Amino acid sequence: MAAIITETQSIKEAVTSINTIELNKFSRLLSRILQKLHLKEERTFSEEEEQKLQSALSLDKQDLSLVLDTTAFILEQAVYHNVKPASLKQQLEKIHLSPEKAEAFCQAWTAVCPDVVEKVRQRIFAPKKLEHVGWQLNLQMAKSTQAKLKDPHAVLELGVRNEDSQSVVEKVFVEFSHQELLQFYNQLETVQAQLDSLT
Amino acid sequence: MSSNHAKVAVGASKDSSFLGGRIPSEIEIMAKQLKDLDQEMFRKILKAVVSAIEGKDCREAMKAIAENAAVPEERLSYVVAGMYRLLKEALRIPTSSLKQEVKNWLLIPEEFITDFASVVFGNRRTALEAVATQQGPRLPSLKDFRWRVDVAISTSSLARALQPSILMQMKLSDGKAHRFEVPVSKFQELRYNVALILKEMNDLEKRSVLNIQD
Repeated sequence: MAAIITETQSIKEAVTSINTIELNKFSRLLSRILQKLHLKEERTFSEEEEQKLQSALSLDKQDLSLVLDTTAFILEQAVYHNVKPASLKQQLEKIHLSPEKAEAFCQAWTAVCPDVVEKVRQRIFAPKKLEHVGWQLNLQMAKSTQAKLKDPHAVLELGVRNEDSQSVVEKVFVEFSHQELLQFYNQLETVQAQLDSLT
Repeated sequence: MSSNHAKVAVGASKDSSFLGGRIPSEIEIMAKQLKDLDQEMFRKILKAVVSAIEGKDCREAMKAIAENAAVPEERLSYVVAGMYRLLKEALRIPTSSLKQEVKNWLLIPEEFITDFASVVFGNRRTALEAVATQQGPRLPSLKDFRWRVDVAISTSSLARALQPSILMQMKLSDGKAHRFEVPVSKFQELRYNVALILKEMNDLEKRSVLNIQD
């Protein structure tokens, strides 16, 4: 198994700091980081939480950020290579992490490994992503150009979220007559057939 | 009381009910103008008006008719306006409810009634109705739908990802194009919902709600 972590200078420093932290505090730190690992752009700890951590772990600001970044880096690498817990433990001991800390990493990793990998796998790179599907079925009784209709019409609402704007969802409205909806459905069935042929 | 003469009077005829309570003034005026209009000329104008309703550009035809000095422009405009209005109103109502008895339509001279009737009840009717369906207020409909299934083999966060995803591009009738990616789970949701709507539409079309007799 290729080494997922090379022992650079900053890694050495981080390891030294990590080895000084109390075990149970470190375990909690680990699980917290693991929770937020699959979300990009989000800081694992807020400003005040970092302040508290500084005093709790008796580390100064620089050391603390080094510890947090390194732990996150180790976990990201673990996800990337999808390492087994045993292999992870070995590698951590190689970079001189204390055995108990390595064990803590190992246990935390075993617990959440499949979930985190799955969540990261589901992440999509796209400027726009379909988030929400809503619909409405109407019966058209008349129009200005035609009276006495009995025309079923469906309106599909697609909520599309832009990658950069976290809160704004663009709503796309599309109207279908019965015939048009049937055509659309047949196209969706073709896509499904393609998906099925992949597995 | 119900002699032929009285039936032709304004507003008294039962068959003019499709025009509403009051006969629109354009039609009244047209009816007067149609007296002693040449049959040939009438047919030409009718043809131009019908192609206008179909949505075709009829400026050439109208110009040709106007240049023919036999009909003064004012009279022509009354006739065209009245014809257009009459046909539009008649085409609005489905043939099943429009009474077949058009012989006593308003004050229109007999010889022209057959021509009008052939437009309203003839085989051009379906084409005209198709145009009417397309017009009228509508939310944008799907003009073009393209899709693509991708499999992500590797990403910067995962060496072996092997995750399929779908890219969809929709071009709508209002000209806008939307391109977005659909995760497989959302695609299933979309497919399920579309199938559900189709089922509901089928149920709706069978229910007795639609057996309302007009």
